[in-house]
Amino acid sequence: MANIKATDLPAWEKRVQSGVHFMLGNYALVEGAISAGCDFFAGYPITPANEISERMSQRLPEVGGKFVQGEDELCSIYACAGAALAGGKVMTATASAGFNYMQEGLGYCYTVEAPVVIANVQRCRGENYASQADVYQMRYGASGDYEAIVVCPSSVQELYDYTIWAFNLAETYRNPVIVMSETTIALMRERLDIPQAGAIELFNRRYTTLPPQDYQPFAAAPFGCPDAAPLAQGYHTIYSLNPHNEMGSIDWDPDEFERLYRRVCGKIQENSDKICRTERYDLDDAEAAIVAYGSEVRPALEAARMARESGYKLGVLKLCNIWPVPEQALRELSGQVGTIYAVEMNNGKYVREIERCAAGKCAVVSVPKNRGLAHTAREIYDAVMRGVK
Amino acid sequence: MEQAHGLKINPNRKFLRPEKLPHFFCSGCGCGQVLNYYTQALDELGMDPERMVHIAGVGCTARIPVYLKTDMLHGVHGRTLAWATGIKLMQPDTPVVIFAGDGDLASIGGNHLIHACRRNLDVTVVMVNNLNFAMTGGQVAPTTPEEVRTMTTPYGNAEPRFDICQLAVAAGASHVERWSTAKPVQCRKAMERALQHKGFSLIEIVSQCPTHYGRYALGTGDPVKVLEWIKGNTYTDAEAKGKAPEELEGKLRLGQFILEDRPIYQGTTSLG
Amino acid sequence: MLHYPQKISLCGFGGQGIILSAVILGTAAVTCGGLYAVQTQSYGSEARGGQCQAELIIDNKPILSPIAEKKNLLVALFQTAYEKYIDDLEEDGVLVIDPQLVTRQTRKVAHTFEVPATQIAVDLGNRMAANMVMLGFLSQCLGTVSREDLRATVEKQVNPRFVELNFQALDAGIAYAKEHHMHYDGEQEGA
Repeated sequence: MANIKATDLPAWEKRVQSGVHFMLGNYALVEGAISAGCDFFAGYPITPANEISERMSQRLPEVGGKFVQGEDELCSIYACAGAALAGGKVMTATASAGFNYMQEGLGYCYTVEAPVVIANVQRCRGENYASQADVYQMRYGASGDYEAIVVCPSSVQELYDYTIWAFNLAETYRNPVIVMSETTIALMRERLDIPQAGAIELFNRRYTTLPPQDYQPFAAAPFGCPDAAPLAQGYHTIYSLNPHNEMGSIDWDPDEFERLYRRVCGKIQENSDKICRTERYDLDDAEAAIVAYGSEVRPALEAARMARESGYKLGVLKLCNIWPVPEQALRELSGQVGTIYAVEMNNGKYVREIERCAAGKCAVVSVPKNRGLAHTAREIYDAVMRGVK
Repeated sequence: MEQAHGLKINPNRKFLRPEKLPHFFCSGCGCGQVLNYYTQALDELGMDPERMVHIAGVGCTARIPVYLKTDMLHGVHGRTLAWATGIKLMQPDTPVVIFAGDGDLASIGGNHLIHACRRNLDVTVVMVNNLNFAMTGGQVAPTTPEEVRTMTTPYGNAEPRFDICQLAVAAGASHVERWSTAKPVQCRKAMERALQHKGFSLIEIVSQCPTHYGRYALGTGDPVKVLEWIKGNTYTDAEAKGKAPEELEGKLRLGQFILEDRPIYQGTTSLG
Repeated sequence: MLHYPQKISLCGFGGQGIILSAVILGTAAVTCGGLYAVQTQSYGSEARGGQCQAELIIDNKPILSPIAEKKNLLVALFQTAYEKYIDDLEEDGVLVIDPQLVTRQTRKVAHTFEVPATQIAVDLGNRMAANMVMLGFLSQCLGTVSREDLRATVEKQVNPRFVELNFQALDAGIAYAKEHHMHYDGEQEGA
């Protein structure tokens, strides 16, 4: 895997605005993308993701990149697919309702293994109230067989950091990666520390070293990722949504397409331990744990502190990504604590994955909130302590 | 000329993927002709499809570039121009050619079409207009003439049809021509002009679909008869001379609609 | 000074520069003061009806919950906004109002400061500078952010045409606090 530093990027001095900022979440996400080498963005206006397009339209031309305001979300996601296959590091951004429209193009990206980063600033339908209601859509929205990668920042700093991570994952696995944002953090201003460019590690997709006559565009190890080839350089590859064999030829032979989808899913499933990140807080002696992701992590940490102050040993498992499911961390946790509280800003969705991993080893209690606002620490604390009494 | 089994081999076979042949088009379909005219244009201009990108969506026409030895995006309905937008901005010097049917380009892809025209995206679009949705079995399309019977207009088509060339001109395309498979030389020449044009080129080719449009709309599965019908329902400016307007009503004009130089699309905003 | 975490709510009506003043305060605290800050604002239908509110937390350590249920400083620049947000103020919180725009107080708050920021700005020649008068006042009276840090931030964030006016407004707010011996000592608890 090609491994470079941000200082290897063209125009890196303009790309990486090292230093301390007080920045809007949507802007921090853009800065993360630009630091990661993003050179193409296409998006369609939608609140609360507009500041992403606006800043991209200003920043990309400064660093030699291209900006497109598409005629709709379909144009945006497919323009990204085209630009990605043409060698670009690409991004689009939308919000829940607009993400609906993108499912079709996302399905194409999964199948032809186009590395595209999508920011989905979740919101309630038609309003900017905060929500985490689309956690399953981000996993299963498009038709067909594929595995999603969804990273979940919980702060402005993480919007920057995780967007770089998202680009690295997309390039490493040649898979779409979704940055799950939320109204809460997207429209929040907060301290952001942008590191020195030399400290930012980047991964770029690996290109084939074979001559065109020996190149097999979709051949890879059983759970591997194929090497890419540049466009219009004689590699005559067909990037088709249809089932295709290792040569890229459209092929409905059941053996061929079973092999294709097994690999496309397997390259994520089998590398799940390398992809997944979790953070453990005060869990070593904990009697119970909160599992949270995205902006719910922060009130969860505060609630755990409140519980500790009142003598109850509560810890937090923070999920830095929700897809693929960090199964190992959840399994370990369920063998260690008596109760897991699944805190989320929807009607209680991801709790199903947690229950599946816990597999009866501990109690799993859903703590949902679906009122357009994140939980307060007090609400989480009360929900936990109700169970204790 | 090379020979095999005692038959002459088409010299433009060099552009094709041998493993993909024979092609899957119905016998008498115009798509094979369009592929032939196109490879002639490539040969004439000395262009190498391996140094180009071809794009096709879904439908019979979308199969045309599958036979070309080239990098190709394929298999999603209506999004050809959206793909092309990303590719052209990343690789402005790579020629991009799109093959789309009337359903792909004018129906599901209609919004992308008008905006690509408006932006003057520097691509060539070959729209094969067989007047219906053929791959799905002969349903009505936005290009189907009025009153015609198709699989979804058993009582006749009650919708007016689009004139895609006029639509493209109105939307801002800088090069637009319409020909039919009955005009092989004009098709090839139009494609050559399109490949050399810097800006958005749309070449519409009215083509015969004997299997569906022929059988349902015209009552004949005979490709020659369908071609005869196309000849009778299209006209060049020369053929129109001396004819009364009512004689031309409901028929499609063949020829060039526009060819002019205009700035090409380089992104929605740029530092120039 | 106001102890950390400073849990601040600034409210008024749209056009008074409420959000901008929160952004400047936060930017100064973070980029000049090396502190942590989180700023959020009302969104959704809450934000309609002309009222405007910005919330800001400033702390000397990383901030968890970005929204404080109770504030220890409420700055109100309009009557209806005051009425909407006054209950968010802690028992021993600090209230700062523009007495010409908040004329009727519904709750007695121990630490209340009345600053005619709008009139001071009008006297300087532009009523739009009332928000900066208020920031100057907060700096002097509560020690939120220093004068130098505010000036440095204003210089970076404000249209150059208005920088001088904003500097004058900041100083006018500081002067008002000094002249009227308005100073909040608070208790030195906190982090």
